[in-house]
Amino acid sequence: MSSLTPAKIDNIVLDTLSPPPRRYWGIVALLFTGAFIGLCCWIWQIFVGIGVGGQNNPVAWGTYLINFVFWVGIAHSGTLISAILYLFRAGWRNPIARAAETMTVFAVCTAGLFPLIHLGRVWLVYFMLPYPNQRNLWPNFTSPLMFDVVAISTYLTVSALFWYTGMVPDLATIRDRAEGIRKKIYTVLSLGWTGRFEQWRHYIRGYLFFAALATPLVISVHSVVSWDFGLGIVPGWHSTIFAPYFVAGAIHSGLAMVLTLMIPLRKIFHYEELITTEVLENVAKTIILTGLIVAYAYAFEVFIAWYSFNPVEQEMFRWRIFGDYGLEFWIMTTCNCVVPLFFFFRKIRTDLRYLMTISVLINVGMWYERFVIIVGGPAHDFIPHAWGLYSPTFIELGIMFGTFCMFFLLFILFVKHMPSVSMTEMKEALHTGEDDA
Amino acid sequence: MPDRRYVMGLFRDEDAVVSALGSLRKSPWNLHRVHGPYPSHKIMDALAFRKSPVGWFTLAGGITGFLSGYAISIYSSVQWNLIVSGKPVIAPIPFFVVGYELTILFGILGTVLGLLITTRVPEFKSLKQYYDPRCSGEHFGVVAVCDEGKQGELERFFAENGGEVRVFE
Repeated sequence: MSSLTPAKIDNIVLDTLSPPPRRYWGIVALLFTGAFIGLCCWIWQIFVGIGVGGQNNPVAWGTYLINFVFWVGIAHSGTLISAILYLFRAGWRNPIARAAETMTVFAVCTAGLFPLIHLGRVWLVYFMLPYPNQRNLWPNFTSPLMFDVVAISTYLTVSALFWYTGMVPDLATIRDRAEGIRKKIYTVLSLGWTGRFEQWRHYIRGYLFFAALATPLVISVHSVVSWDFGLGIVPGWHSTIFAPYFVAGAIHSGLAMVLTLMIPLRKIFHYEELITTEVLENVAKTIILTGLIVAYAYAFEVFIAWYSFNPVEQEMFRWRIFGDYGLEFWIMTTCNCVVPLFFFFRKIRTDLRYLMTISVLINVGMWYERFVIIVGGPAHDFIPHAWGLYSPTFIELGIMFGTFCMFFLLFILFVKHMPSVSMTEMKEALHTGEDDA
Repeated sequence: MPDRRYVMGLFRDEDAVVSALGSLRKSPWNLHRVHGPYPSHKIMDALAFRKSPVGWFTLAGGITGFLSGYAISIYSSVQWNLIVSGKPVIAPIPFFVVGYELTILFGILGTVLGLLITTRVPEFKSLKQYYDPRCSGEHFGVVAVCDEGKQGELERFFAENGGEVRVFE
């Protein structure tokens, strides 16, 4: 940090906005093709009907809802890093906050697609909105599915506004160094920000309220997502531990995704001086904490089943561990609980290769966690006659692949056209750091 | 009435700005505005700002949201007035989730509105007035006003305080 100056910070970040090499556009084209394949699969499903997906009785919720919960979870760490750590004045958040917020916004957009895809007749989505109509059809606000609509829409709006508000002073910095049409675009985007201290006075106050309101939102949104399951009566779902367990899991997966995105970003854009190994190490340390909470939740679920003395619940968990989806359960447990423990070793958490490998494994494990929960419950509920297995079809896998491509496409387009590290916060931290020293 | 001249002193160091602001206060010239690339608390203290009123917008938004959440839930439930499993039609506990989410949503919208009003953006005229693009990089710009004939003295004042000088026509 000591060799950094405001001018150097500007130069490092502004260099990332220079015209990209051909291979960048090659990657963009590949990701666009992937996203287009997903779109084609969705269009096919709209024409043929929801039956082209593997979801059926008894498993009515498959990869669409798995991916919905997965992406909402990924989104959470962005807000954790940008809002909660801001309130705690954790200086190490500054270099990664912008990219994490970007991840949040795009992850919520991706998550928001899945209920629409799962709906089948997507043009009827307006049934979820409360508006006067002659059929007197109103949304049921005692349903967790309606809580979800309200919570996710709120989360998307708040994350997007928080992200944009934080970016305005940086857009002004780019505007002042750009020329031609780019200058005009950034002038509009920066809203004519001049950095007058009268503006800063209101801005820092407003930003503080943003952070203060976004923090309880993180807790509430994934709690609401968990109640989609927890308020049902299906064995394996009906649990009071779901809200904290889902929130911890969400942050666990989100932090892993932050590492997955930050490590290549740091290498490609030569951000080594800004995103230092210490910053990545701190993310890894936080992953140890969330990993332990998740491990506790897994163990406690099994304990609750045993302690409840409910044979259906007990059978559900026996089957979850040793049954048809046993492999998925063990992938989940190993990747989410055992693998993060390697971060206890300093050598591992400071080595980028290990950091990257472990973060990818945690992402895989968290996807399987959603699979085990969402598919496992209905596949093996009260009546043995109604038991059945589910596996995703080609169309579902195509849509899933497409949305992953869409997420990464949006992210790489962003980092090349917008400031992916907050210059303002880095400059501010530079001076605060000097004062502390 | 004589013409007014706006002179900007550009400083790299925030302590130099604080010192210049102190000297400016004792001088015959009027401080017009201060620009900076980041919110320096030292400079804000030197400018003796009062607390920003943005919080009131947040509060108003939050209260409106909470009431709206309950209102929409109650209104829509009453429209479909059917008791299911003995549960009340107006169910305050589940409705709290809607009220809570809308509290945050409207609180944030209130904050954004408050910021737009208090910071006076979007507004593009200021960029063409007493603004220097270096102020979004690593410089702080202190703009002071003087009569036309005193321009040289004001320029000297900024130079003596360690700043680069820029005069706005």
